[in-house]
Amino acid sequence: MAYTNKLNHARTTLKTSALSLLAGTISLCAISAALADDGTPVKGGTVIATLNATTIPNLNTQMTSAVPPLHAADVWADGLMTYDSGGNRLPRLATRWEISDDGKTYTFHIREGVKWSDGKPFSAVDVAFTLEAFGKFNTYLTKLIPLIEKVSAPDEKTFVLQLKQPLTATLDLFDKEVFPLMPKHIYEGKDVATHPANLAPVGLGPFKFDKWVSGQSITFVRNPYYWEAPKPYLDSVVFALIPNAQQRLNALINGEVNWFRPEVVQVPATQQAAKKGTIRVVQIMTNAPETAVIDFNLRRAPMNNVKVRQALFHAIDRQRIVRDVYQGLAETAKSAIPTQFKNLHDTSINYDTMYGYDIKRAGTLLDEAGYPLKDGKRFQIELALPAVAPYDALAQVVQAQWTALGIDVKLSALDQQIWINKVYTQHDFDASIIALTGRSNPVLGVDRSFVCNQSSVPYANPTGYCNPEFDKVASLASAVPLDQQKAHYKTYAEIIARDLNQIALTNAQAFEAVTTNFKNLDAQFNFSFNTHPNWAEAWLPKDKQ
Amino acid sequence: MLRFVGRRALYAVPLILVVIILMFSMLHLIPGDPVQALVGDYPVPPAYRQAIEEKYRLNDPFLVQVSNYLINVAKGDFGFSYQNQRAVLDLILERAPRTILLASVSFALAIPLGMAIGVAAGTTRSAGTDKFWTTTTLIVYAVPTFWLGQLLVMFFALHLGWLPTQGIGPMVSRAQGFAWLLEKLRYLALPVLAFGIHEGMRVARIMRASVIDTISQGYIITARAKGLTRGQIIRRHVLRNSSLPLVTIAGYAFGSALGGAVFLETVFTWPGLGLLLVDSIRLRDNMMVIGVVIFSALAVVAMNLIVDLLYAALDPRIRTVR
Repeated sequence: MAYTNKLNHARTTLKTSALSLLAGTISLCAISAALADDGTPVKGGTVIATLNATTIPNLNTQMTSAVPPLHAADVWADGLMTYDSGGNRLPRLATRWEISDDGKTYTFHIREGVKWSDGKPFSAVDVAFTLEAFGKFNTYLTKLIPLIEKVSAPDEKTFVLQLKQPLTATLDLFDKEVFPLMPKHIYEGKDVATHPANLAPVGLGPFKFDKWVSGQSITFVRNPYYWEAPKPYLDSVVFALIPNAQQRLNALINGEVNWFRPEVVQVPATQQAAKKGTIRVVQIMTNAPETAVIDFNLRRAPMNNVKVRQALFHAIDRQRIVRDVYQGLAETAKSAIPTQFKNLHDTSINYDTMYGYDIKRAGTLLDEAGYPLKDGKRFQIELALPAVAPYDALAQVVQAQWTALGIDVKLSALDQQIWINKVYTQHDFDASIIALTGRSNPVLGVDRSFVCNQSSVPYANPTGYCNPEFDKVASLASAVPLDQQKAHYKTYAEIIARDLNQIALTNAQAFEAVTTNFKNLDAQFNFSFNTHPNWAEAWLPKDKQ
Repeated sequence: MLRFVGRRALYAVPLILVVIILMFSMLHLIPGDPVQALVGDYPVPPAYRQAIEEKYRLNDPFLVQVSNYLINVAKGDFGFSYQNQRAVLDLILERAPRTILLASVSFALAIPLGMAIGVAAGTTRSAGTDKFWTTTTLIVYAVPTFWLGQLLVMFFALHLGWLPTQGIGPMVSRAQGFAWLLEKLRYLALPVLAFGIHEGMRVARIMRASVIDTISQGYIITARAKGLTRGQIIRRHVLRNSSLPLVTIAGYAFGSALGGAVFLETVFTWPGLGLLLVDSIRLRDNMMVIGVVIFSALAVVAMNLIVDLLYAALDPRIRTVR
């Protein structure tokens, strides 16, 4: 009897315990849900982002402008400043900066108490070292380096740059994407160009390098020394290495990854997938647009005739390119200085009105240039392009429109390396299509299309256009004070609109796609092109980790 | 037997020499700038170009490059991949097992599938059934693997959501033991299905032709006259004798696949040798390209050797001759 009572008591206790446990679990779930919903960030979780490559030769963006390392650098690296979604400068490792009245001395006040991801202290000495050791290897600084008089760090919190002559673009050359900071204690005395740390970097970003699985992924984990503590909230950022654009979209739709940057042609499909609510497509402010252009080879006929170049511009229906190639997600380029450079673009130079689609005018210009129609043909040209989207579609539209003018257009869609050799080294082309990123200042991305390039450097003016008058204007425009720059860049754009060594077709919009399980995405995506999320702001509710 | 294997291994030496010289010559002729590939789509600063070219001796004369490479290969050093910053051999040894896994499982599916279809088509008395299998295998075989792969992704991954779209495994996983294996199998399923079906159709077509040829032989008529059942005849006589051409073709195809199933690995972002080869060509990582091609050539040689040994095992006449 006593045994039965004990058994009954045990059963009752067990039931009570089970009920308590259940109630406890339910309460925990409720608390957890509440935690997820009250907007207070919680730590934990991983974001899986994508990089568009399986082989990445270098993560150090002081020495590469390739897209995958740039995406990764936002996570592990940091710089003196950055831009918000409105294109306004935001201090990062520099808390403030001053420019001397003569425009030749830049003084940056460096944030104190900051540590590298390996725990070693960061100071102005590292900033000076970065410029001294990496400046000559940094493609964006080629204009600045010869102008440097002296680089110094008079104390641990001050970095001073003295120039021989003013360069108004200087501040734009020190944003975190163009000039990520590098640790002196890692690189000093070593061959920085081939240092192993370029593939296992030590930086100042919210995450630190953890591991690299060849051909598969690169993992960064929370940097315990990050200067914006308690950020980041996520435990890790994993970059999935997926070279194909369609596969990146598929992986996002299927929930295998959380972030990717769609190609413009993929945006409608991504927006369609976003209707289910699990994906959000964010348009990124492009204060540094990607401009699709056609370069003409001025070394050979008929491209050496400006009337022919003008005619070819008139013969292109750029609205159709916007509609058919970019599916409406681009705008026609207005001049050599993109409209997004609000303080530098002058609306009086407008390709839409100067070189509007006018096939009749194009025909007249070709007649005047000495290329009248003979048996329905005028001349033959070769249009070279890298055989990747969107250049293939773009070239086909241009080919069709030039053909309508009586021009026999041969398309040469080539492997990127062969295209580089053909266009930039051999100069064996008539016209060539490419999209170039303007970045945040003409000195960084625009000048290279027009300034004389006698040494045949790839991705810089392949046209043979060498105009001392223009080069002088470009040099002056980059050196005068901010309030005088617009007038000079107007002359700059006028000369190019007259000479047309290159015609600008469209400025594409930029988008990023992210899964909606993350919180605080508005703050996370508060940046402008070419920056990408650093994942310091975003967090995952406990129930979604 | 050992002498035979040793002799065949020696044959590989001149082949590899020819492969190395041919690859060096071809890569030398193709325009390309590995330093530009490192920097991306902005001009390469002269100082950076000089540093990289000096470090990796990119400007050495052609003959110096070839002779240095040959000396190093003789020492077992297959060079350094400057786009991966690792020894070529290390990368091949890391990527090859992934390709071998994909090819092996795919052929493990393709061979029984193809043999079953081939035997069914070759031994049927119904002209309709034979036509059905002949047409089906032709159509499916004509579908390129990369397109078949895309179709499978669309249906099984994007439409049904059962399987992942790409990759070799999840980026983040806590699975262990059986759960880990299941997870791996989910990633293996679609590439294997695409490759297995494609190769299976090739096997089926060879097998059908071979079976038809075999069943018209005198010894099959004798077997029938002896009263053996249809099943017994197929199992004991037809299968074994029809397998000889299959071993040759499948062995060669498997050897080629080991060198990197380029299209398939690209479609499924399967980070094996095929994807490595495509990347290395794009980035003009010549040492890596040559390394993968040498591995491919060795794989084909090794598979041909295995095929010869299998021949001997399957056909006593060959054993006797040897």
